[in-house]
Amino acid sequence: MALMDALPLQSARWRPWQPNPVLLCLAVAMLATLAGLDVVSVAPNRIAAPTGYSLWGATGIPGAALALLLLGAMTGLAAYPGRYRYPALLTVSGLLLALIPFAMMLAAFRLIEPGVAQARLGIGPALWVLLFMLMLCLVELRLRMQLARGWLLLMLLPIVGVWWLCAAFWLDRLALVQEFQARHDAFYRALVEHLALVGIAVTLSTVLGVAIAMLIRRFAAGRTTAFAILNFFQTIPSLALFGLLLAPLAWLSARFDALAAIGVQGIGWTPALIALVAYSLLPMVRNTHVALEAVSPAALDAARGMGMRPAQRFLLVRLPLALPILLEGLRITTVQAIGLTAVAALIGAGGLGTLIFQGLGQSAMSMVLLGALPIIVMAFVADTALGTLAARLRHGDSTRQGDRA
Amino acid sequence: MSPDLQRLPGNPNPLRWLMPVVWLVLLGVAVKAMPLATPALEWLSPDTDGVVYERTAFTTLLWRHALTVGVAAVLTVIVGITAGVAVTRPRGRDFLPLVGQCASLGQTFPPVAVLALAVPVLGFGTLPIVCALVLYGLLPIVRNTLAGLQNVDDTLIATARGMGMTGRQRLYRVELPLAAPVILAGVRTSITVNIATAALGATVGASNLGEPIIAGIVNGNTAYVVQGAVIIALLALSVDSLLDVWQRQLTQSRERH
Amino acid sequence: MIELRNVSKDFGDVQAVDDISFSVPRGKFCALVGASGCGKSSTLRMINRLTEQSRGDILLDDQAIQDYDPVKLRRRIGYAIQETGLFPHWNVMRNIATVPKLLKWPATRVHQRVEELMHFLHLPVAEFAHKYPGELSGGQAQRVGVARALAADPDILLMDEPFGALDPITRGQLQTMLARLQARLHKTVVLVTHDMDEALRLADHLVVMREGAIVQQGSPLALLQKPANDYVDSLLGGLERGLKQAALTRVRDHMAPLGPTLPAQSRVPDGYTLRQTLSVMLRDHSERVTVVDTNDMPVGELSLRKLVKEAHTREGEAHES
Repeated sequence: MALMDALPLQSARWRPWQPNPVLLCLAVAMLATLAGLDVVSVAPNRIAAPTGYSLWGATGIPGAALALLLLGAMTGLAAYPGRYRYPALLTVSGLLLALIPFAMMLAAFRLIEPGVAQARLGIGPALWVLLFMLMLCLVELRLRMQLARGWLLLMLLPIVGVWWLCAAFWLDRLALVQEFQARHDAFYRALVEHLALVGIAVTLSTVLGVAIAMLIRRFAAGRTTAFAILNFFQTIPSLALFGLLLAPLAWLSARFDALAAIGVQGIGWTPALIALVAYSLLPMVRNTHVALEAVSPAALDAARGMGMRPAQRFLLVRLPLALPILLEGLRITTVQAIGLTAVAALIGAGGLGTLIFQGLGQSAMSMVLLGALPIIVMAFVADTALGTLAARLRHGDSTRQGDRA
Repeated sequence: MSPDLQRLPGNPNPLRWLMPVVWLVLLGVAVKAMPLATPALEWLSPDTDGVVYERTAFTTLLWRHALTVGVAAVLTVIVGITAGVAVTRPRGRDFLPLVGQCASLGQTFPPVAVLALAVPVLGFGTLPIVCALVLYGLLPIVRNTLAGLQNVDDTLIATARGMGMTGRQRLYRVELPLAAPVILAGVRTSITVNIATAALGATVGASNLGEPIIAGIVNGNTAYVVQGAVIIALLALSVDSLLDVWQRQLTQSRERH
Repeated sequence: MIELRNVSKDFGDVQAVDDISFSVPRGKFCALVGASGCGKSSTLRMINRLTEQSRGDILLDDQAIQDYDPVKLRRRIGYAIQETGLFPHWNVMRNIATVPKLLKWPATRVHQRVEELMHFLHLPVAEFAHKYPGELSGGQAQRVGVARALAADPDILLMDEPFGALDPITRGQLQTMLARLQARLHKTVVLVTHDMDEALRLADHLVVMREGAIVQQGSPLALLQKPANDYVDSLLGGLERGLKQAALTRVRDHMAPLGPTLPAQSRVPDGYTLRQTLSVMLRDHSERVTVVDTNDMPVGELSLRKLVKEAHTREGEAHES
């Protein structure tokens, strides 16, 4: 969401006395989604093709009526201006989000007979779309009410809590939950591997990237070459970069026992890490370079004129002023690395990608979901956290903007 | 090729087509004459018997790859520019924050995850990767369209209005032509990145230049990986340099006026 | 005391400063005036060693500045520039405290000094202390810049077009503020400006530069009375010169003792400048005015004829010398 800061925007104004066409459209679209698409699906076992059910079919009159009531209220609030309508809209959106797991419990209760042990409930397309649109509603409301990101997250916490409670205790029919229970050890291992790979790769590329950017500043002649090389890495598809490292690393570890002893091998985390770092270097170096160069010459001149030593100029003036753009580079790098690490599973590096590709291989979509959802959540959280941090560091100086890849 | 010479009005640099032609020729050679590189490829992966990928012809793979990226690019450009233009009109201004938000959300979603989520809905094959590419490529275009349109000098728009242009005329005759180089830069970023990303499609059964790469990884055959990677890189460089020429011409023609 | 002896500065093939010499005695205000690119900023930046001179000597208290450690030298010299150079990530208070903190003053002393300076420059502490430079107007930012330059109580103040980017009204206010400041603090000041009126208003000593060389230097009055060439004359405003000169002269220095004739109807206080007196004469259609002291008692008189005659003889003397 931090990329929002990059988009040239007039600030959305607080206008309680006019209809809000955005929320109106979203509310109507959500109604249409619930009317037209399947909310849940039921499959007799893990791999069999599921049957879809609409909201009416899945939850019967109470669920459909409640959804109609809430969405109708949303439409009305969006169309007719009133003093408290934005807080009211926020409450309705929150309620809808919190009610989703209960709707699924109701559906499971109605559609699945207790005796069929293998039967499972899948999340239908309507629910995904609904979830996405509710997120958009929250974003829109946050902008209109000019809430800080932190407030929205605080509001989402109890909702996530409700989801977790439902999933942990009552939603054992949900395919995703069943999949998790069947392989929670593998899941946790994959999650830790994923986090570790991303963490190490980002740390390494930050250190290397900042070092390279500083070297480039010192030796201006090398700049074109360095950027040409880094750009070249980006034209190689990530998939190929992983593959290309297999053979040379295998050869190296076969040749040198010392390398093999520390775990260097053709398959596994070594090529993954190298490829991740190589890929992450360009945004890191570019943003660090731009950040350090973009510091106003007047501030640096003043710093020198007031008798700061070179190290003080760097630590007290240049670095703090460059930090927001530098963090922007870190944000791009991290989000990118979280996604790329999933690909690394193909060369045996582990991580959540393993679940995705195994699931795809077995046509077990809930397993794919088990791998993909945490990746999206991680990317999202990293994006928001680093974006918030960068915005915090910017001190109302909104004119400075980073280079965004 | 001094920059001064390039800027001379009415004297377009005759060498401006050099880079695209070089890349395209190299691409053609790579696709048509891969067996010629057999010795080098054998050195790369000595233990395998077939070093040149032969399951599908490279021309077919290149064509499918280009088609995938092309369809995604057409969709992205239409959706992205329409959205960007719509939300900068007075009527659509309310949607500006949301559209910006959506575009940036699109890039936060890792393509692999989008691919994985799209498979249950769209099935295996090329459709999921097109979907992922559209989502992933939207941000640069929307962002640059918004930036390009909003950077048009307000006095120019006021002048156009003062001369009696309607909103539509202002858009087509003043705003879009002035924003064109910036928008094109966004399109260029989007397409170049997507050419590389499209290779991921091979993991969900799409047949494109990612296919030899996956085959290479699965069979431990580096030669296959190299072939896929080289052709994709050459394709990306060709398209990038072509768009670069176009972008330059747009900027130059504006400077000439 | 700052002294420049035959100083030159080359940037590659370009000679930015060409063999200039001048000195600024302790507590005096010197202005370097000239069009942009005349080398005045380079001259200023050589004094605190932001650039090193190519040839010649720069002396500070009779010692070559090369003998000083550049960092310590700069901490002794206040420095304010046109773009303010305020650090955008620090609030006003932290910005002003820059040099005292570099000099490792104790925290309480820093705090006290910052508040004193903010008071001095009409920046209410409660309102401004925690603002960031991005939230300040141009005039406010420039005042913070001056406060920051004065923070460690340096003997010497270097200012590079400090008010160049401001609107005329704000610039006038800040000039007044600076004049008042100088009257109290008696710093040794070198000001770079392209605005001759600003220089005439503030400086004791003017150095007019053109293409790296000094065209003329001297006191404001000396320049106004006898510009060295057409360039200086045009900088001084050509035809307006007489009035500008009059604006620098007090009426009490030119009045004649009260004569036997009746005192004139028009009265002017003895603190008025000749320019203001002339204005009164024109307004009242009177060739003669009575000069009065603060108690409104006549202390002298001044006639237009005497004024014109004096100006004539003064110019004659100037021509002979």
